[in-house]
Amino acid sequence: MSNYLEVKDLSKSFGNFHLKNINFTLPKGYIMGLIGPNGSGKTTTIKLILNMLKRDEGEIKIFGLDNIGDEQKIKYDLGVVFDSSYFCGEWRITQVRNTMSDFYPSWDTGRFSEFLRRFRIPQEKKVKELSRGMQMKLMLASAFAHRPKLLILDEPTGGLDPVSRDELLQLLSEYIEDGEHSVLFSTHVTGDLERVADYITYINDGQLFFSGGKDEFMDMFRIVKGGTYELTPLLSEKALGIRKFSTGFEALVKTQDLAGFPSLCAEPASIDEIIVFTNKRGENDE
Amino acid sequence: MMSNILKATKLDFALMKQYTKSILFTIFFPIFFTLLNRSMLFGISFAMCFSSATSSYTFSICEANNMERFYGILPIKRSEFVLGRYLLIILQGVLTITVSIILQLLALRIVGENVQMHQITSAFLTGIFLYSTYTAFLIPGFYKYGSIKGRVFLFFPTLGFLATLFILPKLSLKIPAVSIALNSPAVLFAVVFVSIVIMYFISMCISVRITEHKEI
Repeated sequence: MSNYLEVKDLSKSFGNFHLKNINFTLPKGYIMGLIGPNGSGKTTTIKLILNMLKRDEGEIKIFGLDNIGDEQKIKYDLGVVFDSSYFCGEWRITQVRNTMSDFYPSWDTGRFSEFLRRFRIPQEKKVKELSRGMQMKLMLASAFAHRPKLLILDEPTGGLDPVSRDELLQLLSEYIEDGEHSVLFSTHVTGDLERVADYITYINDGQLFFSGGKDEFMDMFRIVKGGTYELTPLLSEKALGIRKFSTGFEALVKTQDLAGFPSLCAEPASIDEIIVFTNKRGENDE
Repeated sequence: MMSNILKATKLDFALMKQYTKSILFTIFFPIFFTLLNRSMLFGISFAMCFSSATSSYTFSICEANNMERFYGILPIKRSEFVLGRYLLIILQGVLTITVSIILQLLALRIVGENVQMHQITSAFLTGIFLYSTYTAFLIPGFYKYGSIKGRVFLFFPTLGFLATLFILPKLSLKIPAVSIALNSPAVLFAVVFVSIVIMYFISMCISVRITEHKEI
């Protein structure tokens, strides 16, 4: 089986929020970044994958198995980290270890201790006494300790300092090196993705904007800059987002449309810029 | 499946550890009622009522720590988590009534009270019936509404129990079968045991249904 995760036509509605027709595939041995602004549907997608939320329509296959029918079997090989600790605050590290080892036959206490040392997590403290960053690291250590085939991380870098973030990214790169593991990684810190992600899935307002290779994603867009007089109706029409200033403008356009504007200065767009412009936040006149 | 239920029980037990003192309090405090009234029935009833109220602890801890996400990632079915929690609560009831009866017997002996076997039997049956009724009502309420709102369910068994206390003596005068059941320990045991099994069975089915449809 070459794909570890396949999401097809996934839909879910609650209240005013609608996640519609989400499709993406994560092959074995790669890292996929799940990006989008707050409330776009990233966590909902992850919870649907984990069967914490019930999908309205669509299909989710993990390791080629249905995520509901084969939920238990799948979860032995899943490591999950959320944006805040899911352990009991009163537990000490030994209790975390004992509990996790009960549920995962592949649990490796040596590996867990190794990660605790590597992350410098004080073992005598209660979970609630650890800083948010340390709690994130504890979840990561627990996730890595049972050697999951697929890691699902929901905003894992939020509470980490730059050094720890760098360490995590290094760890993720090492983790997929053997070609047998994959990572689905939702984050706001898109700089992290530019460094480690192979694939990008971008969800905006509950809809799939893009899913594919990271390089393809970044090559698809360009930032064009120019003076006020250069902002023609044609450019306004083609632009995915425009930021106007008193002296000029910046706009995000598809690379394929660039040929129509040879006089404009074009630069590669960062993932952050793509998100900002496509989320209409670029339209701030000054 | 059984091993998963035991794992779930163990996990819930790990959550309850921090409340060991409160649980011990539910065992020791009712001794005063026993001594005050010179009756095991009062003490055991209080102990089991207090103890049933502590069944909310696992739910409160899960809510306070947002642990439903943790339960959601573990490789075990939701129904197994539910059954594991019931098992822990049933074990807690068995432990509470066993320890309470021993302690209260000792306390009554110390103050020179002579306790008859039928008093122990009626205290035991009342105790386990009360505990089972309370917990069987409470747990689905906790699953549906959470540990705080779910506590309103505590009133239903209380009202039911008080109503039974008033109705039973009258019924026993009018209906001979009720009178026989109340005066025959074997029949009483059977009635209480069957009632408990039925109550827990219905309660578990409702709780499993609630959790399987719940979105975390």
